[in-house]
Amino acid sequence: MNGKRLSIFSSIAIVISALLIIFSLFFPWWRMEFFAPQYPEGLNIIVYPDKLEGELDQINALNHYIGMQTFSEENFPELQYLNYLIIGLAAIVLIGAFVRKKSYLYFVISLFIIGGAVGVWDLRHALAYFGTNLDPMAPIDMEPFVPPIIGENIIANFTTYSLLGTGTYFVIAAFILLLIPLWKERKQ
Amino acid sequence: MKKWVPAVSGLAAGVLAATVFFADFSPGPKSEAANEVNSNKTNAEKVYVPFGEKDEYYLMASGGHSGQMFIYGVPSMRHIRTVPVFSPDSATGYGFDEHTKELMGKYNWGDLHHPALSETNGDYDGKYLFATDVGNSRAAVMNLETFTTRDIIDVPNTSGPHCAAFVTENTEYMFLPTRFAVPIGSEYASLDEYSETYRGVMSAVTFDEENEKLNIAYQVALPPWSYDLSDAGKKMSADWAVMTTYNTEEATTNLEINASQADRDYIVLFNWKELEQKIADGDYDEVTGQKMIFPEKHKGGIYLVPVAKSPHGVDVTPDGEHFIASGKLAPAMTVFSFEKAFAAIEAGEFEGERNGIPILNYESVMEREVNPENALGPLHTQFDDKGMAYTTMFISSEIVKWDPSTGETLDRVPVQYSPGHSVAAEGDTVAPDGKYIIALNKIAKDSYLSVGPSHPESMQLIDLTGEKMEVIQSAPVNPEPHYAQMIKADKINTISIYDKDESNPYAVYSQDQTRIERNGNEVHVYGIAMRSKFIFDAKAERPDVIEVNEGDKVFLHLTNIDFDQDITHGFAINQYDLNIEVQPGQTNTIEFTADKAGTFPLYCTNFCSALHQEMTGYFLVKPKQ
Ligand SMILES: [Cu+2]
Repeated sequence: MNGKRLSIFSSIAIVISALLIIFSLFFPWWRMEFFAPQYPEGLNIIVYPDKLEGELDQINALNHYIGMQTFSEENFPELQYLNYLIIGLAAIVLIGAFVRKKSYLYFVISLFIIGGAVGVWDLRHALAYFGTNLDPMAPIDMEPFVPPIIGENIIANFTTYSLLGTGTYFVIAAFILLLIPLWKERKQ
Repeated sequence: MKKWVPAVSGLAAGVLAATVFFADFSPGPKSEAANEVNSNKTNAEKVYVPFGEKDEYYLMASGGHSGQMFIYGVPSMRHIRTVPVFSPDSATGYGFDEHTKELMGKYNWGDLHHPALSETNGDYDGKYLFATDVGNSRAAVMNLETFTTRDIIDVPNTSGPHCAAFVTENTEYMFLPTRFAVPIGSEYASLDEYSETYRGVMSAVTFDEENEKLNIAYQVALPPWSYDLSDAGKKMSADWAVMTTYNTEEATTNLEINASQADRDYIVLFNWKELEQKIADGDYDEVTGQKMIFPEKHKGGIYLVPVAKSPHGVDVTPDGEHFIASGKLAPAMTVFSFEKAFAAIEAGEFEGERNGIPILNYESVMEREVNPENALGPLHTQFDDKGMAYTTMFISSEIVKWDPSTGETLDRVPVQYSPGHSVAAEGDTVAPDGKYIIALNKIAKDSYLSVGPSHPESMQLIDLTGEKMEVIQSAPVNPEPHYAQMIKADKINTISIYDKDESNPYAVYSQDQTRIERNGNEVHVYGIAMRSKFIFDAKAERPDVIEVNEGDKVFLHLTNIDFDQDITHGFAINQYDLNIEVQPGQTNTIEFTADKAGTFPLYCTNFCSALHQEMTGYFLVKPKQ
């Protein structure tokens, strides 16, 4: 199993995979769009690995009616270091292109899966935290709720859509690029 | 080869998915549809702008003695906004907060006459709107990012800048000629000394765009006549300007009769570049703190052109080669030639002088007289994209379309009733659009549901795209549009919120910065307004309460921290006769003395949210011991 080195083709796939991961830093990874009769143009929370964008002030101003805590970069410490983790992951992936060993590739893929799972858990945790820790003194009483990571939800006069961002698609593509060498160089 | 197929397809799948999710496939703006030929639409369809679409033009109509500007959309003729300029307006807190109180000075009203849009190369640039106050001799500038008044200046030595504002080709100057002659400094002087002591002073006003400040560059002490309408030259005549005069008889009473005696009055033709040079050369007198050109002493650059008596409008053709004027009592319009005027000036060909100003020969400057049959009372001319002229006829109540290069009458349309001015789409620029002209009628009479003996004024939209001019919409309007400007909507770029200004010492953007500071008998409040509460001091037991002692001077600085389009808050204190507004992101200040002891609720006056009714607090004034 550790005798044969991965082909040049596989190395190139791994390099591209690392580049895609770096690339993803410049794109949003996840977003939530809010639509209401008064906001037909929509309001957005756009999550990058290192920052939040969108109409946060407006969303916070509206969310206080249901007693939701404010969205701000301070409330997401992950944003301080997430991009370094991602760069680190890219570096580990890139090393795989030179190591050219299947075992190393398995290690990278495992890391990827663990990282992805932690990411999804973290996002879900944040959504649950914001949706269920509503101030009981808020003017509008609201059943606690957990918006989905992907998909539609209705809260009062707002319909929200959660979507994966371009960055996440780059990372998914990067992951697929890591699987390809395994499939390509499977034992015939 | 086959090897990299999966790689590429994996990548492609990712990119494709991203594209599907994030690409913007929404249809583009439908503005092209609005430009399609109007010919097979009914009149109702021509003026109907369905929800979701916007009008094609802004109409900036002067509000006359309301002291306001009225903003309409064309072709729907819907009233969009009233912008206070010279008069207080409790709806927007104008004249109540410190900034607008200072702008209005000690005055409570104004008579807003001719508005003028700022220009670049003779075309509207959509940045600013200037206006004059005939009632209290002032000039104002309105910013078109926010549609708010930014500066107002008093114009000394002048009384009633009527025919202005009109701006030069690149907004170098706005000229303010005066309707009433008064002695310099408005000093007392017997009317028996009218001809000797009184003057019709014209002011050259400059605008400092960076600081949004108006300034008087110089003045010209013209003869004691009344100056009516005016226009700046264009292209070949760009350095020149023209304005009409009446009462060259210098009558001092019963002007209706006494100012209508002479067969001819004058158009003043002047070269503002030459006047500017005079000022640079020190060829002026310093009077009442102003640089004053006395034409009989500081000669040159100003000429008189005889014109049919009691003229109102004088308008420069889009090509800048001619100016058109007409006596408002005479049936004919006269087309004058700038080129001929320049030649006569060059040759020193004058028929005499009045008050030291050379008079050109009517015959040598006149190109043609135009006399549409039975048309009476020509007042004001606008132009279309082909250079055709449209003149309002006050007495015969119609608009006449005619060709300035041949004098031929092309069309006429009755309007209801008595149009003063008219405004065509960008109709006084170097590049008019054609399409629409609006008659600004002085008398509505029986046009609308009756509201008693007095009625609103009336604006009528006329379609210029068809074979014949046709009135396609009528809209009532408050007193009283004198003139208006119609600008293509896409030239106006408004802001939707005020950005944070961290350098503003009165602004607070977060709750923990709110505070009430006491300094002797002064109370300074740094508060915020947000949906749906006031916070004057976040650390107080009741953050929405201001408590002072009777006689304290209160300075309230209020910042609206809802950075969200159209979420405007108001602030009023019951029985304290004050109300201000804070637009999204704006910080506004009001100062007042707590001269009434007692308990006074305060509240948000501009409906802002579902819990707007709850946006209240208390202003408590402890009585003096
Ligand atoms: Cu409010």
